Amino acid sequence: MSNSTVAELPEPPDLVQVSGEEPETPFGSNELRLSLSEWFAVAFVVCALAYAVPILWKQIEPLQCGPDYRVPFRLGNDYWAIERWIDEAASWGGTLVVGDSVVWGHYVAKDAALPHFLNERTQSDRFANLGIDGIHPAALLGLVKHYGRAVRGRDVVLHCNLLWMSSKRHDLTEEKEFALNHPKLVPQFFARIPCYRESLSGRLGNVIGREVPLLGWASHLQIAYFDNSDLATWTLDRPYECPARAVTLRLPSPDEPPAPEPVARPWTEQGIDRFGPAWVELETSFQWHCFRRTVELLQQRNNRVFVVLGPFNEHMLGDESCRVYQARKQAAESWLRQHSVPCCIAAPLPSRLYADASHPLAEGYRMLADQLLENEQFQRFCGIRRQ
Amino acid sequence: MLFHTWTFALFFAIFYPVYLLVKGTRLKLPWLFLASYVFYGWWNPVYLLLIVWSTTVDYLAVLGMSRSRWKGPWLAMSLVNNLGLLGFFKYGPFVAENLTALLAWLGIPYEVPPPDFLLPVGISFFVFQSMSYTIDYYRGNVHCEPNFIRYATFVSLFPQLVAGPIERASNLLPQLYGTPRITREDLGDGFSLFVVGLFKKVALADYLAQYVDPIYSAPSQYSAAALLLATFAFAWQIYFDFSGYTDMARGIARVMGFRLMLNFNNPYLATGLGDFWRRWHISLSTWFRDYVYVPLGGNRTGTFATYRNLCMTMLVSGLWHGAAWTFVVWGALHALGYSLTRALETSTVYRRRVPKWAKQAGTFLFVLFTWIFFRAESMADAGIIVRRIAEFGMEDPVCPVLMLAMVAAVWLYQRLYESEARWVLRPAPVRIGLVVLMIGYLAVFGVSSGQAFIYFQF
Repeated sequence: MSNSTVAELPEPPDLVQVSGEEPETPFGSNELRLSLSEWFAVAFVVCALAYAVPILWKQIEPLQCGPDYRVPFRLGNDYWAIERWIDEAASWGGTLVVGDSVVWGHYVAKDAALPHFLNERTQSDRFANLGIDGIHPAALLGLVKHYGRAVRGRDVVLHCNLLWMSSKRHDLTEEKEFALNHPKLVPQFFARIPCYRESLSGRLGNVIGREVPLLGWASHLQIAYFDNSDLATWTLDRPYECPARAVTLRLPSPDEPPAPEPVARPWTEQGIDRFGPAWVELETSFQWHCFRRTVELLQQRNNRVFVVLGPFNEHMLGDESCRVYQARKQAAESWLRQHSVPCCIAAPLPSRLYADASHPLAEGYRMLADQLLENEQFQRFCGIRRQ
Repeated sequence: MLFHTWTFALFFAIFYPVYLLVKGTRLKLPWLFLASYVFYGWWNPVYLLLIVWSTTVDYLAVLGMSRSRWKGPWLAMSLVNNLGLLGFFKYGPFVAENLTALLAWLGIPYEVPPPDFLLPVGISFFVFQSMSYTIDYYRGNVHCEPNFIRYATFVSLFPQLVAGPIERASNLLPQLYGTPRITREDLGDGFSLFVVGLFKKVALADYLAQYVDPIYSAPSQYSAAALLLATFAFAWQIYFDFSGYTDMARGIARVMGFRLMLNFNNPYLATGLGDFWRRWHISLSTWFRDYVYVPLGGNRTGTFATYRNLCMTMLVSGLWHGAAWTFVVWGALHALGYSLTRALETSTVYRRRVPKWAKQAGTFLFVLFTWIFFRAESMADAGIIVRRIAEFGMEDPVCPVLMLAMVAAVWLYQRLYESEARWVLRPAPVRIGLVVLMIGYLAVFGVSSGQAFIYFQF
């Protein structure tokens, strides 16, 4: 090393000069040394594997998605598997019913959710259930944007649940931090979500995770086979089990109920009281803004979009709150009409057909399907005539 | 900012292209200085005041020495300032706690209020690095650095700022002159060091930590088997954690054209405690050798004085690691072990008849025992652990086989590397295959890690 300005440090005496030989000074403590050209070889192999493994995995892990398939509850955060289902459903060429747990059917089996009854009533398999349990408009926007590219040009029935605008907490405009659903899907940088306090590193990781299929696939392995935990945590719980044997290549069934299993009974029998949520203004609502962005994004992608608004359980609302809800509903409808988005403002179902504020029970879904199929705009949208 | 986070990846992605552009210009030092302060200030910008203060005082001390016939007072100023900072920020709570205990013992019911602040990250590292410069100048080993920004960059250079290696001015300052040359070899070596370090930290150290932490948090609830395995796991955890950090630091510095000193050299293959300290945290042990052991007289003043100097150096080293009696005991045990192995190594029978593997095993077991005191949260906990291990209760330790297999694989790799069969690891396909495996493991199983490094607390 050249050193014109600093004198050389004289060799100090050894701390203990007994053992004699100094160990040879290696390059590193565990020498694993590659030249730059060998690093290019590594980069090539890693990129090839990163590209090929997720694709090959789809060949060896069957996705058995028959009629009425919905994303299994356990895979609700597995965006790689969800994207796989979106790709599959989009390839059928039918109508994709997109939304939150109301579409997914939180309180009912997959063959008692809205898409099932639409199929049953139209005697077809054209409606695919693309509902995700727990998703909210901000996350749905992320899902459509980053994982829903295959939906391009398809017919989409988009459900709008005004529950997400029923309070600042639901609207994600509350200042207090809390664990929101699907944090990886919400905007990480270019929209301030005050209650979302992820570190910069976490946010960057979420953005990169969306764009790198290998990372999505890695997350899929953890969610589908390692109880949604990393390998280390999984082995600590099962110290003597072989992790490779956990990878059974059998995905959870869409029939699996949510955990904890919800009580599929009318809300009135569950001891739930009426409530008066502090609805946020639509003009300032973050969730409503995201919903609108989702509609616009789908339209930009040449999708035909039909919006189903509600049916919210108005029976649960106090009088004043119900009045505000009606105003919000009208404002939402007004925006949809202004932007020429065909829609159906679902009429409230009988009180006994709701399990909570927004989820119908099976009979409620049947009635909602009937409402939709009797709606002229929906008939035009779907190209069907119904007597 | 931790090396194994996306934040650092973003930081480096911004820093490095600009660095490549300016490394041959007058902007090189300001850019390095700025980047290093952003890196350090990321934890808490207030900490920057401390590093600015320490740097300024030492810079002025050396400047003062260079212009004065009396160097002593300037050196004293530097030492008092650095040791004062360390004492106040690192040992304040420890001193307060022990003063309270002493007063209580004397029958005076007064609680000395402990300082209420967080320990600044890496204070022990940058203070030692800065202090070595003033001592070296006093001894006439280095020249005065007139450029403040260059000196501040030497103290704060971000790859080695928070957990070493503790660089000497004689090694690092000259590298800050001129245009750093970055060769293909530097890039290859830099990537190699970084990936190996990342694997050690994320795949190994953080994994082992998940087994160790709950056991050491409540040692009375675990059997001897679990405590033994947790101690064994901790020995490897701290090695992977710290040497992983060092590897990453050296790798980052290397791609910037700087060569930092080797800090770890397969320490668990050491054949004695002396050998261990020549392989473990080399930059610290050589620091203590040069600035504590040698000034005390080293081994030049007779056998008794040598052992006394040795023991004092190890005790100070123990206290450097942390402000708690457990660290003092850890240092004392190392002093004892060091003295014993030194005495043994003077015997021809020991040197020639005792096989190498037995020396390695004995050294490893002794170091393992000392880690109990290093890791235990209190002396009471350390006592419980030693007692329960002595009871030899052999209930199921619930230790993941995969974790042990990974440690065994690394140990075998090290053994193989130091054996005559080392050629097995030389072919390019083997090395490329190993690196691809490591990167694959990190990509698939290492994505959720974000634990800080153990040595940041020192």
